Amino acid sequence: MHMGIAERMASAHKQIAISEFFEKNKHFLGFDTDTRALITAVKEAVDNALDACEEARILPTINIKISKHDAKRDIILLEVQDNGPGIPMKSLENVFGKLLYGSRFHVIRQSRGQQGIGITGVVMYGQLTTGKPSRIISKIATEETAVQVNIGIDTQKNKALKTKQERITWTDEDGELIEQGVRISTKMKAKYQRGRQSVYQYLRMTSIVNPHAEIFFTDPDGETTHFPRVTEKLPRIVDAIKPHPSGLHLGQLQRMLKSSDERKLTSFLRHNFSGVSKRAAKELVAAAELEEFNKPKLIKPDDAQALLEAMNGKRNGSKGKPVKLLPPPTNCLSPIEEMLIKKGLSKTIDSRFIATLTRPPVVSQGNPYQVEVGLIFGGGMPADKPVEILRFANRVPLMYQQGGCLLTKAIESVDWRQYGLEQAGGKGVPKGPAAILIHLASTYVQFTSEAKEALADNEEVFGEVRRAALEMGRGLRRHLEKRRKMAKTKEKFELINDILPAIAEKSAALLNKPVPALSGAITRIMNAVICQETTEWNKATKQTDISIILYNYTARPRSYTILVSWPERLAEMVANERGGRKEALGLWAWKLETIEPGMRAEVTYSLTGLDKGDWNETEVFYRGAGDVIGASVLDEKILAEIRKQERGGLDITPTEDQDVPIELNENPIGNGSSTSAPLEVDAENISESDNVPPEPIDSDLEADVLAESSPPGDASTNASPSLSAPAVTGADDLGQAVMNKTTDLFKQQKLFDGGDAQ
Amino acid sequence: MTRTHTPEETKAAMHEVVLEMYDRMMKGEAPTMTLPVRTKKNIGFDSKLGVYKYGKKRSIRDAKSLGSAKQLLRALHVIEFIEEMIDAGKSSTLREMYYISEGWGHGHFSSQNESNNLAEDLEIVTKCLREDFKLRPEEDGARMIGDITLNERNRRGEWMRINARDDVGDSGYGVPYNVEAEKIQLLEHDVDFIMAIETGGMFDRLVENGFDEEHRCALLHLKGQPARSTRRILKRMNEEWNLPVVVFLDGDPWSFRIYASIAYGAIKTAHISEYLATPSASYLGITADDIVAYDLPSDDLSRKDVEALKAELTDPRFADSWWQEQINMMLDLGKKAEQQSLAKYGLDFVTDTYLPEKLAEMGH
Repeated sequence: MHMGIAERMASAHKQIAISEFFEKNKHFLGFDTDTRALITAVKEAVDNALDACEEARILPTINIKISKHDAKRDIILLEVQDNGPGIPMKSLENVFGKLLYGSRFHVIRQSRGQQGIGITGVVMYGQLTTGKPSRIISKIATEETAVQVNIGIDTQKNKALKTKQERITWTDEDGELIEQGVRISTKMKAKYQRGRQSVYQYLRMTSIVNPHAEIFFTDPDGETTHFPRVTEKLPRIVDAIKPHPSGLHLGQLQRMLKSSDERKLTSFLRHNFSGVSKRAAKELVAAAELEEFNKPKLIKPDDAQALLEAMNGKRNGSKGKPVKLLPPPTNCLSPIEEMLIKKGLSKTIDSRFIATLTRPPVVSQGNPYQVEVGLIFGGGMPADKPVEILRFANRVPLMYQQGGCLLTKAIESVDWRQYGLEQAGGKGVPKGPAAILIHLASTYVQFTSEAKEALADNEEVFGEVRRAALEMGRGLRRHLEKRRKMAKTKEKFELINDILPAIAEKSAALLNKPVPALSGAITRIMNAVICQETTEWNKATKQTDISIILYNYTARPRSYTILVSWPERLAEMVANERGGRKEALGLWAWKLETIEPGMRAEVTYSLTGLDKGDWNETEVFYRGAGDVIGASVLDEKILAEIRKQERGGLDITPTEDQDVPIELNENPIGNGSSTSAPLEVDAENISESDNVPPEPIDSDLEADVLAESSPPGDASTNASPSLSAPAVTGADDLGQAVMNKTTDLFKQQKLFDGGDAQ
Repeated sequence: MTRTHTPEETKAAMHEVVLEMYDRMMKGEAPTMTLPVRTKKNIGFDSKLGVYKYGKKRSIRDAKSLGSAKQLLRALHVIEFIEEMIDAGKSSTLREMYYISEGWGHGHFSSQNESNNLAEDLEIVTKCLREDFKLRPEEDGARMIGDITLNERNRRGEWMRINARDDVGDSGYGVPYNVEAEKIQLLEHDVDFIMAIETGGMFDRLVENGFDEEHRCALLHLKGQPARSTRRILKRMNEEWNLPVVVFLDGDPWSFRIYASIAYGAIKTAHISEYLATPSASYLGITADDIVAYDLPSDDLSRKDVEALKAELTDPRFADSWWQEQINMMLDLGKKAEQQSLAKYGLDFVTDTYLPEKLAEMGH
């Protein structure tokens, strides 16, 4: 692990008082200015609350109140209360009164706390700036009363100083007993500000990526903002994992060797690292020119170095190649997931379009990570300002150093002009009524500095974010094109339904002649088949009602098969009177009767199992001759790809030394309507898939691997395996369109993580 | 010469427009309205009339797009409205028509400009004038001072005899919107030429300095881009009394355009250029030469000025060598000057020195 605050402080506080250390390093601890100190304090308290609730499987409700305690001296009172499990009395002094208490620095899993000094920092800051201890109230459900205590810090000994500890009956404003939770009240020198870097913005962002949390915030003017809970679904429990050999550093290896009680080096390797099979352990030992029975404790520094090289893949094994290792499991990650990002975004921002994407987890230097992106467009956002970029690492908002952050750079590298946003020179932060959310979930987040506000450059992560952004962009462009077409269609309808009849009547009246029949003129004017799609939430039935009407405004009879995208995994189709058939996963088809000139045909159905806002637009495709305005022609090649994957996916059995079977020979996007750059993107995807070749699986480890890599309930386990990369990332057509909607079918163009394919 | 039409002629001409739409619909086609292209690319010099007129390019406005279809519907509403006014013996301003259109449903105008343009479109296709349509412009006509006597029919229907020097105050005789024979009769004059002036400030300076009497001329204030009636009365005085016309404007690209619309016809009204343009009008100044010769205080040309000058270089109305030279010279100088910059040399410089010198140069 990164040499972090933990180690530095651990060694530092031996020589100097912890307060001095805090004073000297407050810039990277987040307490360097009065404004930032307040944000950091809120952040530490809220992170603690969210983490505690998550572990205890409680839906969090958090109250934050900021008030002016002494306006002349800029002293602010911060109060944060949660409904978490509470902290037992004996642990209070360690949690609030001792820097770096807790286990999070030693365990490899995705956690919020990785990024801060902890709540003790807040107590410390309050004490240093006001001389006052913090007041803590904690209640656990199994006890009758709550504990109330003032906690300060003995800065010489890094120890809590408890005063006025007592048992109290804890009630809320209405006199109701509070069952459980923690409340911290701290006075501190701080400034409350509004704007991009503010407590408000921090809470807004936190609320977006924690859709399961309910947050109330009362500002110094007494105004309360409510960030509602939009899902009852808690983030799933993440497992701690062992380090993976490929990203290991020497110091870490040496420490692990020294503290190991294993008798065999191979056992040490198998039991302390992820991705190391029995065979691989033997090969690693051999590659390092060591013996299986070497005692780990006694390994010398030179031998440790050799072993590290083998583990890092810098020494060849018996086959003249680096020893093959399994990728680390990815169930230690907790992505927010698309539908929830959508809900989170739409609760704080009004919009007309939202696309979200959770990329499959990947591995970089032994660290699993996962990228999620959301794009929200339209509504009340200003059209002439730079797009708002909302950055998150492990669900924690990043609010400073936007320009220096990898996530921003990846967004800036996309030419957004082709997707309908303004951008000077095709580089930099685009302008337009939009916001872009990027979330990086990882067991190990690399920051540019210990201030932990910007992510450090990493080519693989950059590529992942960029790919996700491109896909968002394509979705946006399709949306904008569709809107344009719809506006045009609406105009045409106004023309033939309102204007033309008025012209006919008025001209006939002026000339004192009979009103002419208009069907001929209408055909001439429209000369097209028009598809009108409406997808609407029905409040009364709690269903999403969809209607698709095809008007034939041509001079000839027309017949079509209409296909629609629908969220097959999340919803059920009801009231579908025409029946139709399943064409592919997430794609339903109806063969319509022949539509005579001037006539229409309608398809209606409803979706159940969705919430309001989950499904706002239905992509319509058709088979048949001539153009249909408002629908896209079905690309049969892509459909064939999808079917092949659905049908044949399970047969794919990777064997040793064989790459993931990805079909590279042809780009199925054939009909030229694509305006993006599928080739470039294809190339990226192919190489990405190559990053993680399938691994021959040792029989004795297979069961383990399966268990590790496919947790029950993870949506991806049900999905069919990888659709070939080109089809997925190809541009405008079916693959794309369906992909954004059906959430998971096509998400699998990733590593072969064993579990799915077997 | 009369250029107006009888109510019956006007109605018949408008019905032609309606019939074009009606017949197309009867044939199962989208209704259309055919009219000349109204850009500088489609104006040409009519050597018989001595003015610029629309050429042969026609555009067909058909109802295939919502915008055009609405235009057709509006045209029908306007025609109906005009017929009603003709029958009731009323008239209205273009602005009143714009407000009345609020009640026309899908045929209402979304801006005043739209209703003005449509009235012009109808003039062009029917070859009638807006006076025939009983529509009057909002803008008032110009002011005039000089020894000119005319008859104006007042709103009680009586003829009033007015001398534009002796019967008016310092602001002069106000030219009404309709200056056709049924409204204005030119009786007699005692002047040698007419001077049309762009700015009110300069008009007042010349009046105060008694320039009209000293130089035996009539002064006409154009008020920037002159209204139709201003150009029309200038044309009538020029034609009926054979009086020369000189035009005294600022020295900038926009003033060149004002001159062109007086002498050759405006692009927007090229369908009635022969009624409005005074081909013999000559440009007195301020010329690009003057800026140099009189060392006039000047401003830098703006980007828009430069664009306008460049557009004029390709405008057929400025195709002759004198104008090409003037425009290019102004572009080279990068400067423009106002009429009133002559005040640099004192209040009387314009009347005592500049104008006499320029008039002599032009042979007056």
